[in-house]
Amino acid sequence: MNTRLAATAGALAFLAALSLRPSMAAEQSGTLTFVVRDWFTAMYESRFMDECPEGLNVGNDEYWWRGLSKKDRARLTEDGLVQTLNRHNLAVARGPKGEDVCLIPTLVKDPPLRVVEGKLAYGENLDGTTDGHATAKTCKHTKFTTPDGKAGIDNQLYRLVGCTYGWRKGGLVDLNANEMRGTSGLGMILIEITGVDNPRNDDDVTVTFYRSIDQFALDSAGTPLPFSTYRIETVDGKPRYADSVKGKIVNGVLETGRGDVRLPFYGNYNFINPVIKDLGLKLEIAEDGRTATGMVTGYYDVESFMHYVSGLGVAIVISYFSCNAMYEAAQKLADGYPDPKTGACTMLSSAFKINAFAAFALHPEKQSRQAAR
Amino acid sequence: MRAGLLKLSSSVIAAAFLLTACGPKEPQSSGAPPDMRRLTEEQYRNTILDIFGPTITYGGRFDPLARVDGLIQLDARAARVTPAGFEQYYALARSIAAQAMSPANRATLVACKPTAVDAPDDACAQAFLTEVGRLLYRRPLTATELSLSVKAAHDVAAERRDFYEGLTYSLSGLMMTPKFLFVIDMTEPDPVRPGQQRLTPYARATRLSYLLWNSAPDTMLLDAAAKGALDSADGLEKQAERMMESPKFENGVRAFFTDFLDLQKFETLEKDQVIYPTFNVKANEDAKEELLRTIVDHVAVRDLDYRDLFTTRRTFVSPPLARIYKVPAGRPDGGWSTYEFAKTDPRAGILTQIAFLAVNSHPGRSSPTIRGRAIRETLLCQKVPDPPGDVDFSKFNDNNSPDKTAKARLTSHRTADACAGCHKITDPIGLGLENFDGAGALRSTENGETIDPSGDLDGKPFKDAAGLAQQIHDNPATSSCLVNRLYSYALGRAPQRDDKDVLAYFQSSFAGDGYSVRKLLHRIATSKAFYDVRPTSAGTTPANAALSHEESKS
Repeated sequence: MNTRLAATAGALAFLAALSLRPSMAAEQSGTLTFVVRDWFTAMYESRFMDECPEGLNVGNDEYWWRGLSKKDRARLTEDGLVQTLNRHNLAVARGPKGEDVCLIPTLVKDPPLRVVEGKLAYGENLDGTTDGHATAKTCKHTKFTTPDGKAGIDNQLYRLVGCTYGWRKGGLVDLNANEMRGTSGLGMILIEITGVDNPRNDDDVTVTFYRSIDQFALDSAGTPLPFSTYRIETVDGKPRYADSVKGKIVNGVLETGRGDVRLPFYGNYNFINPVIKDLGLKLEIAEDGRTATGMVTGYYDVESFMHYVSGLGVAIVISYFSCNAMYEAAQKLADGYPDPKTGACTMLSSAFKINAFAAFALHPEKQSRQAAR
Repeated sequence: MRAGLLKLSSSVIAAAFLLTACGPKEPQSSGAPPDMRRLTEEQYRNTILDIFGPTITYGGRFDPLARVDGLIQLDARAARVTPAGFEQYYALARSIAAQAMSPANRATLVACKPTAVDAPDDACAQAFLTEVGRLLYRRPLTATELSLSVKAAHDVAAERRDFYEGLTYSLSGLMMTPKFLFVIDMTEPDPVRPGQQRLTPYARATRLSYLLWNSAPDTMLLDAAAKGALDSADGLEKQAERMMESPKFENGVRAFFTDFLDLQKFETLEKDQVIYPTFNVKANEDAKEELLRTIVDHVAVRDLDYRDLFTTRRTFVSPPLARIYKVPAGRPDGGWSTYEFAKTDPRAGILTQIAFLAVNSHPGRSSPTIRGRAIRETLLCQKVPDPPGDVDFSKFNDNNSPDKTAKARLTSHRTADACAGCHKITDPIGLGLENFDGAGALRSTENGETIDPSGDLDGKPFKDAAGLAQQIHDNPATSSCLVNRLYSYALGRAPQRDDKDVLAYFQSSFAGDGYSVRKLLHRIATSKAFYDVRPTSAGTTPANAALSHEESKS
């Protein structure tokens, strides 16, 4: 059902119907909107870290430390008084002329990154093959199986970062990013589902991804308040981000088809806006419509990922990885969208877990009307 | 909204006046003895704002007023100033006077310039105190009052070597007297009715101003009083029209409905944040504001049928309220926007607004009994007896009760004869609002069981909140209660037996005017009953006698 203009007016009647008369909601057309609160790289972590038989990666700080004489260690760390976080700027300046080896990761040659060797991962089958052989759109890679037994899973991003502390449980890369999103109003992703006749079952809906310019409205515990309204970011009166995919809702679970979607992303003081190729979304909407959890899958380009990683700042030091090793491994593990000239793949299959809260999206035309009121 | 008020056509008022002229005549009123009423906190604040402008800021709290016969306003006439209350007035007066005479404000507020800032200047002081004294006392200062104030300013200016310190002292003195803190019904012999008394023109102006603006008369109204223009129907009419066109008319409407609907309860409203995380402090403030905006828009700006307030789908939302309503906020930046609920929406009218639902609930759950009682007592002017002291709530409060819904629990509770009588007149009404929880959010179930929002009002069944709203709309007590309360509010006293004919006249006019609150206010403000006084046995009230003694010296 077509209905970009649907948005807010229909949402009311629809949500009222949802709350009061769920069984009769199918009679009314409407819109469901969610604002993404948390965005985590989907990580499978076994109890004994079987997926990383060589252990976790060695950090940039350690490589820097190893390369110093005893005398230099004492001098640069003021006899150990300058701790890891504070010597970040020194530790990344490992280039031949003191260059930042995270900004230019090819300046040094560190030992290879330890990557995931396990069989299990979260994600989806993105290339359609069962064995990961090369196709016109992909490079040869090894498949995973999900923890609940679904085979043919593509998730090379997990393979890349799965043995690096910063992305694992307790690591700060995603936690920091989510915290910053929660307090800055940057990188706010709105997911708007239009053409919804029945919020629990509808075989034809449209899912559009926007960026909001508003911060989260939080309760006293710091949790976003459901059903808050967020303005869509605009350029020349039109949404800056507005890529759509089609989908369906079955028993309260939205599952979309695949399409290229540009998303706003902010975290660790970096703003990027990668296009996730062949993005698909699976979103389980709570019975009361207030929250949703789900997974975004698709191909994430290496360039955007490395741009983000190189700008992590002090998080690089406490995430324990080498930028050089990460960069080289990312090129090797890329499994999607080969460069026409070199044939080397440029994107990583990936999966992200998201938590979202029910919201309202205020469209540009509505924003100008309200401002004039 | 203020602009809207200004734009309201004066022809509407004129039409109302024509109806008055052509319709049934106002019956003779027996009047009431002259009285004195303490300014409410809101009246005090409005008065200071109007006289000194918005740059004056101050805190403080006044002695609270109790709710008497359905209105806070009625307690003002009985209220006296406690020692602690006077301390507040003293501190406020000093603070306001000091700010008014500060270097930043003095040039704006004091028209004349002293010959020297470090010495007294009686001419300039007299000019200023004459002007500001008239606004503060709502009448010209007597010669004695003025000379005492000028002398005080002179003495302090000489001692402190600061002209403005002198004015500060005198100004704060004016604000600490009963003549400012109390609205005093000054009377004079009535030339039309020999042997009878009538309000002085300034007392008439004051009564009119606090009804329509909830603030003191402005210069134009005082000028009209000075010229005797308020003694004639035409003169009164012109001033009432002017005042109802002013943005300040909104203050008058807000003040009445705040009192009538007992919105003072918001000052102590708390909700359990674990149960209702969306009902935060801002939502609390905004809920009251939403209700008042709806009322002002409905009755003052658009001049619609008062009864339609109970069925209207139009409201105003801010972001915190939009979250509770689960509707989009037009202004996510914190501003207000209008919102129209769909005709199929369970919400209809002010009874289903967050304000009424939340304030008439417990901190952690809804209450059909409190809501039913509020409808009976506040909107229909029907008295519901207080519960007995030994009432047993155990069945109702039992968390393990097999009765999942409030309706089922109340049914069990009503088995006690002592409780049944009152609950029969409150619960069947309040149960109609059970689709809304204690914070006013929509719900369809309680403890997993589907809520049945049906009930009845005086034997007339309804299916849900919309049905209840329609019954309140159609109930004759709804409009007669409004008339009764507005009349009481205007006069500052509960209606007496002698007021029966006048009340009947206003009720019939209200219906004839399409239940327009705006026209009703206009009728009351220009009625004889609003100004009539009857003498006490001694001819004057004690307050009047004490104050007229001073005036006689002038």
